[in-house]
Amino acid sequence: MSEKKVKKTRADDRNSGISRRSFMQGVGAVGAVTAAAAVAASTPAWGGQSMRDAFGSFFQDQYKKMTPEEIEAALARIERKAKRRFGVDIKCANTPPIPGVVFGYAINISKCKGYRDCVYACVEENNLGRDSQMQYIRVLEMDQGTRKLENSEHYYDPEEVPREGKYYMPVQCMQCDNPPCVKACPVEATWQEPDGIVVIDYDWCIGCRMCMSACPYWARHFNWTTPEVPAEELNPVTHYLGNRPRPKGVTEKCHFCIQRTRKGRLPACAEACPNGARIFGNLLDPDSEIRYVLENKSVFRLKEDLGTEPKFWYFAD
Amino acid sequence: MSSVCNAQQEQAQGQSGLSPVAGDAAFQIVPRIPELTYHPCTQCHQFLTPNAEIRDLQSPHPSELDHGDGRMWCLTCHKIDDRDYLTTLLGEAVSFDDAPTLCASCHMQRHNDWASGGHGKRVANWQGERVIYSCTQCHDPHSPTIKPRAPKPAPPVRKGLEPHQGIAEAYEPVWERLLKELDHE
Repeated sequence: MSEKKVKKTRADDRNSGISRRSFMQGVGAVGAVTAAAAVAASTPAWGGQSMRDAFGSFFQDQYKKMTPEEIEAALARIERKAKRRFGVDIKCANTPPIPGVVFGYAINISKCKGYRDCVYACVEENNLGRDSQMQYIRVLEMDQGTRKLENSEHYYDPEEVPREGKYYMPVQCMQCDNPPCVKACPVEATWQEPDGIVVIDYDWCIGCRMCMSACPYWARHFNWTTPEVPAEELNPVTHYLGNRPRPKGVTEKCHFCIQRTRKGRLPACAEACPNGARIFGNLLDPDSEIRYVLENKSVFRLKEDLGTEPKFWYFAD
Repeated sequence: MSSVCNAQQEQAQGQSGLSPVAGDAAFQIVPRIPELTYHPCTQCHQFLTPNAEIRDLQSPHPSELDHGDGRMWCLTCHKIDDRDYLTTLLGEAVSFDDAPTLCASCHMQRHNDWASGGHGKRVANWQGERVIYSCTQCHDPHSPTIKPRAPKPAPPVRKGLEPHQGIAEAYEPVWERLLKELDHE
């Protein structure tokens, strides 16, 4: 629409004799009718849930305050909801952290070639909304010889990677040891688990997005719409704090594939990397691969000066 | 004894003393022989006379050797009198499953990193038994550099945040309009 046209319609309104008052009255009347109709017809009873689940969800407490029985009930509710929504039998687990394990991650930026295989493996593993186009991993294309994040490009799309004069640096949740997002949350919907993973209780999140603005790594993402996943692509192995189907209006982020790593498996991104650039392991195990890297390579962390203590290192060799 | 423990039957032959492995990490290597199309090589080579002359080879052998800048040729790594085995620089037979031992003859530092976890790729789990891929799983030994390839699609602009179409055409920059109004006055 052009500017001229806009001006013309405004002028027409002024001359048409409809007063602002009568217009607003009309809008009010239409609104009331619509609301009544919505209650009567379009909204399914109990928001598409059973009465038991609607009440159960409403009175559900924060994850850490729930008793084991309440958690079991919540997990069963999640499974029933997924069955109703997707028609798929999912298994929602509550695998506890492994004692004596703190997870760490290292990326070899001289091996990362920017293929983005990790990004899509993550989308599939973690039931990220295909329509909301959320991605936990951001692969930045950087100018060689610099570490200027402001000059990085993550929409790069050449015929072939790596491009001349560029290197690639994937950024995701750093699972900070001093996480600013946790401090920003006004309702304690996000916290750090004993194995170092910063998790979110999606049922407790109020969607205020304070954590997103607190995160210096752009690691948190907001569900502006209900994340839609085709039923046949839904990953049925889920975790309460991880990849279970999320509602609209909550924040989410990388959780080191909590549903896999707490069972001893590698995160999906590490398994997908064809170049072996991603190294994952237990920081407390002196024989682990991650400890070998930290002790023998020149590692750095992103925005180290902020004091967030990321458990996510980068190195080159 | 080297701490590289892999295909058990090959261990006696695989010990070249050329693989300085840091630490005490025990691991398994994913075997490569099941994935090799023409192995065992003696299927054909038992009927052929060994010829040590450096020459261009025909298919199924690779025609070019893009490894070592022309310092090497087939018999640098392949054992001339037993084609089912590779050979270290010292002439010891090495199984195709145990290629890293051969690679370590030159790339000791890399081999050290690989055995300890700083290079290469672990299979499936971070906990429990350590199973890692062999060098030749990722690197073509005849042309070891990783080749460029197409990336997966770029991230889309998120739903609801699409750039508006035609804004630039419909509206001139605000300063242009203000300047024009100034001119009129």
